[in-house]
Amino acid sequence: MAATSSLQADGDKGKSSEASSKWLNAVSDPMTNIHTFPACMALADLHGDGEYELVVGDLGPDGRQPRLKVLKGTVLRESPLPALPAAAVTFLMESHEPQTPAVAIASGPCVYMYKNLKPYFKFSLPPLPVNPLEQDVWNQAKEDQIDPLTLKEMLEGIREKAEVPLSVQSLRFLQVELSEMEAFVNQHKSKSIRRQTVITTMTTLKKNLADEDAVSCLVLGTESKELLVLDPKAFTILAKMSLPSVPVFLEVSGQFEVEFRLAAACRNGSVYMLRRDSKRPKYCIELSAQPVGLVLVHKVLVVGSNQDSLHGFTHKGKKLWTVQMPAAILAMNLLEQHSRGLQAVMAGLANREVRIYQDKALLNIIHTPEAVTSLCFGRFGREDNTLIMTTQGGGLIMKILKRTAVFGEGGGEADPLLSQPVKLNVPRKTRIYVDQTLREREAGTAMHRTFQADLYLLRLRAARAYVQALESSLSPVSVTAQEPLKLHAVTQGPRPPRGRSRLLSPALPLPLSWPQSRARSPAASFHMGPQTSLQKWGPAPRSSPWDVSSQEPGGGLLRSLFTSVTAGSPRGSDCPGQGWGRPGTTQAQGGRGALRHPDLKVLRPPTSSQRLPEVCGLIHLGF
Amino acid sequence: MEPLFLAWSYFRRRRFQLCADLCTQILEKSPCDQEPDPALPVSQAAWILKARALTEMVYVDEIDTDQDGIAEMMLDENAIAQVPRPGTSLKLPGTNQTGGPSPTVRPITQAGRPITGCLRSGTQSGRPGTLEQAIRMPRTAYTARPIASSSGRFVRLGTASMLTSPDGPFINLSRLNLTKYAQKPKLAKALFEYIFHHENDVKTALDLAALSTEHSQYKDWWWKVQLGKCYYRLRLYREAEKQFKSALKQQEMVDTFLYLAKVYISLDQPVTAINLFKQGLNKFPGEVTLLYGIARIYEKMNNMSSATEYYKETLKQDNTHVGAIAFIGIDHFYAEQPEVALRFFRRVLQMGVYNCPLFNNLGLCCFYAQQYDMTLTSFERALSLAEDEEEVAAVWYNLGHIAVGVGDMNLAHQCFRLALVSDNNFAEAYNNLAVLEMRRGHVEQAKALLQTASSLIPNLYEPHYNFATISDQIGDLQRSYTAAQKSAAAFPAHMDTKRLIEQLKQHFAVL
Repeated sequence: MAATSSLQADGDKGKSSEASSKWLNAVSDPMTNIHTFPACMALADLHGDGEYELVVGDLGPDGRQPRLKVLKGTVLRESPLPALPAAAVTFLMESHEPQTPAVAIASGPCVYMYKNLKPYFKFSLPPLPVNPLEQDVWNQAKEDQIDPLTLKEMLEGIREKAEVPLSVQSLRFLQVELSEMEAFVNQHKSKSIRRQTVITTMTTLKKNLADEDAVSCLVLGTESKELLVLDPKAFTILAKMSLPSVPVFLEVSGQFEVEFRLAAACRNGSVYMLRRDSKRPKYCIELSAQPVGLVLVHKVLVVGSNQDSLHGFTHKGKKLWTVQMPAAILAMNLLEQHSRGLQAVMAGLANREVRIYQDKALLNIIHTPEAVTSLCFGRFGREDNTLIMTTQGGGLIMKILKRTAVFGEGGGEADPLLSQPVKLNVPRKTRIYVDQTLREREAGTAMHRTFQADLYLLRLRAARAYVQALESSLSPVSVTAQEPLKLHAVTQGPRPPRGRSRLLSPALPLPLSWPQSRARSPAASFHMGPQTSLQKWGPAPRSSPWDVSSQEPGGGLLRSLFTSVTAGSPRGSDCPGQGWGRPGTTQAQGGRGALRHPDLKVLRPPTSSQRLPEVCGLIHLGF
Repeated sequence: MEPLFLAWSYFRRRRFQLCADLCTQILEKSPCDQEPDPALPVSQAAWILKARALTEMVYVDEIDTDQDGIAEMMLDENAIAQVPRPGTSLKLPGTNQTGGPSPTVRPITQAGRPITGCLRSGTQSGRPGTLEQAIRMPRTAYTARPIASSSGRFVRLGTASMLTSPDGPFINLSRLNLTKYAQKPKLAKALFEYIFHHENDVKTALDLAALSTEHSQYKDWWWKVQLGKCYYRLRLYREAEKQFKSALKQQEMVDTFLYLAKVYISLDQPVTAINLFKQGLNKFPGEVTLLYGIARIYEKMNNMSSATEYYKETLKQDNTHVGAIAFIGIDHFYAEQPEVALRFFRRVLQMGVYNCPLFNNLGLCCFYAQQYDMTLTSFERALSLAEDEEEVAAVWYNLGHIAVGVGDMNLAHQCFRLALVSDNNFAEAYNNLAVLEMRRGHVEQAKALLQTASSLIPNLYEPHYNFATISDQIGDLQRSYTAAQKSAAAFPAHMDTKRLIEQLKQHFAVL
């Protein structure tokens, strides 16, 4: 048992950031060689001496040398495991003193129980029923009635057709080479074939008391789509529940003998909720992606998905929120600070960050030298709030939360991504509105008729007014595309009292049926009245303020200004009146000419984003 | 009948012209009309009566006639802070720092304020940013901005009164011995009002007021208020403030509160003005003018929730207050409750108002509250009641909206064009016409119309945004970006603009 980790004094570098950080660096050792994931980490006081130890089910550097590692202080002890661990938990088996928790390692079809770090009990899952056809075939092989090749063919036939899958022995036989078949059959034919399932996940559930030091049951999820609850003393199966898919993450709250809720995230991308008396799932949350982690925070179920996001759900499966992560989630676990009653979710991300969220609020970000693959938070040694992380390269990082540190809502950065839709402030339906709808219901036909009749009258009136405006050439914008012209007059400065000079009111009568010859002449001018004259500029569009001073009887200086009268002459067209002008631009001639006939197919249709301003002129009550 | 009594009776029946004529006859009998003989009280009484009658003829309530001229707009040095903090100034049009309604929900006026329910001086204009904006005439204002406020309405009143007396002025101001009149307080008050209102000679009025205050040993609050009024006219705000404050100390009057608040508004200190009004409300609880004053200031500051609260309070005290009814009605309309707005406008109709804007509003409310049978009738009536071109334009413009709502694009097109026929500077109509042109596929025309719209009212964000969208669609990214920037300046919180700018920036980055 070599001490592979070393306590590090706080490094000199980065002292300023250290001071503002909420964490003290305790250990940072890149060479511990621990490769594991959050489910295989547990913290417990294994010897009853008040020193909490870290239990890790280690996969080994290449996943070949599974080991149970126990870290006490800086001393690491390890013992080999028979198979790769799937989960490691610590739990109390009996309620009498001295209470020393047992370690349970789920590995393959078995749960290995350790007490005082000595092997104590091995629980194996009950074997599954074997396919009778397969049994027959092997029996025949045992009696040498068939040769290995026939055996292989028959087994392959069974594998393809039968509903019950083959046993491990048959599957391995199907994999071996021709030359080794004989030996394999001889070696194994005497053994009876068995079909075993595998434990995929494991957690603990308090038996009948909610206390910290109460006896807990083990809850196992198996490859055969079942959930089992084990008695902590006798290791008999207390309850069995079946799921539609293989559970990969489990979260439990409540007590087994009172009431409990089980949430199981499964490989089909769904989270199933089970209650005490339900043999089948009660609710189902269908995620849009595969779950990568499941944490129960207070009553909110936080699911991490492989779409780089965290989702919060209620126990009934209602989605509360979604938080988008900057990178893929590698590990998730619960952060529980008992002294402040804080529960939050920690998520180790692929971009070498560990983010801590309370609901949607980001409380803290920890930057690590390597991506964190597993993390847990709790009491280690004699320190209450320790964060233990292992990294992708097998390193171990421990950080201690400062006792003065407070994770305030405001202390964390506000989440910039508000993925939650803001609730619209829709006004209530008033009683008047309801009354009006009643009236509509009663007199709908009559209202419609009146409206339609009025609409016809309005169309007539509008058309009359329009024709009249055209005849008297009042419109400031020309109607036809051949004569693109737009005029408007702006009065600037004080205007004489109303009624004295109707001529200069904005509605300038303009002859829009412009004679072609006149339009061509560069400086055709015509007179509107005794005091003003309008001018049409030549081909080059320009707009310059153009003063006409006049002495009105009661007024002062009058400035009449045309802002845009333009006649751009585009290339290839000899009509000088073409082109809609833009005041003060001459450089855009080519561009406009090129866009003379825009290909309308290329244009997207005007979307609804082009808006008419909502009733701009609800005009004022002028009193 | 005794002629003086008859004259007095005419005065009380507000037949001022008859009263003045009769007084002239009385005064003709006693030749010294310029200087009434103290021995002849009848002539003195007639002199006072005539002065009052002439004043009443042209009397304008000083409190609300406030129109800033170009000079005040552009050369304003009275504001204390040049870059005021948000929520403490009236000078930030078009921006929503104080939580005003969004321009997507509630359209803005030319000056960049949310549309109000009532046309009054000051609310239309806002404060222009450039000289060109300052000299351009607001579309819905009835007169152009005067060069300076002292040369505006007051000059016209003065000249008008000059014309009414063909024999020359009643009192020749240059020949007055002000010191002598200041000794006679009763005479002096009538004379002051005559000088101030009828002759519009603020300097002489100020001299008289100063002498009279001195004579009353600075104990008469009335004279102090008059001094303050004179100083206000002369734009000496600090002196005016001093006088009004001193008057308030002696005698708290509603008028004085209003005058003082006006001074503070001119100094661009709306918060102080509101506090002053609240102080006044402690002395005169439930005073309508004070409540209304507070509401108006909040409205100018774009703080619509507080404004609504005070308008409602105003209505509680005076349930025929047209300004308050109009504001609350409009507020309900833009808060998506047209049926409630309809109630308010019907109330105005019941009060005997019968004009174009009211029927226009009724029609709009009916349409959006789905009372279709009343809609077009109301608009019809509004059109026939319209008094001038601007009103006609507004009604056609709104009819255009109805046509868009009905789905008759041809009619909408005609309506917007008719709006432009009546009012060539109707930027909103240009914008809407451009959108319709765009739907027909006339890109160039749409662009030209949008440019006109944006040059007419730069505060509107819609033309800029629409122009940016069109330019973006035809591939003119540079112009699209420029227009989008303008749109963002006019309405910083507009999501679509932001998205467009982001998209364009990405485009530029890729290129």
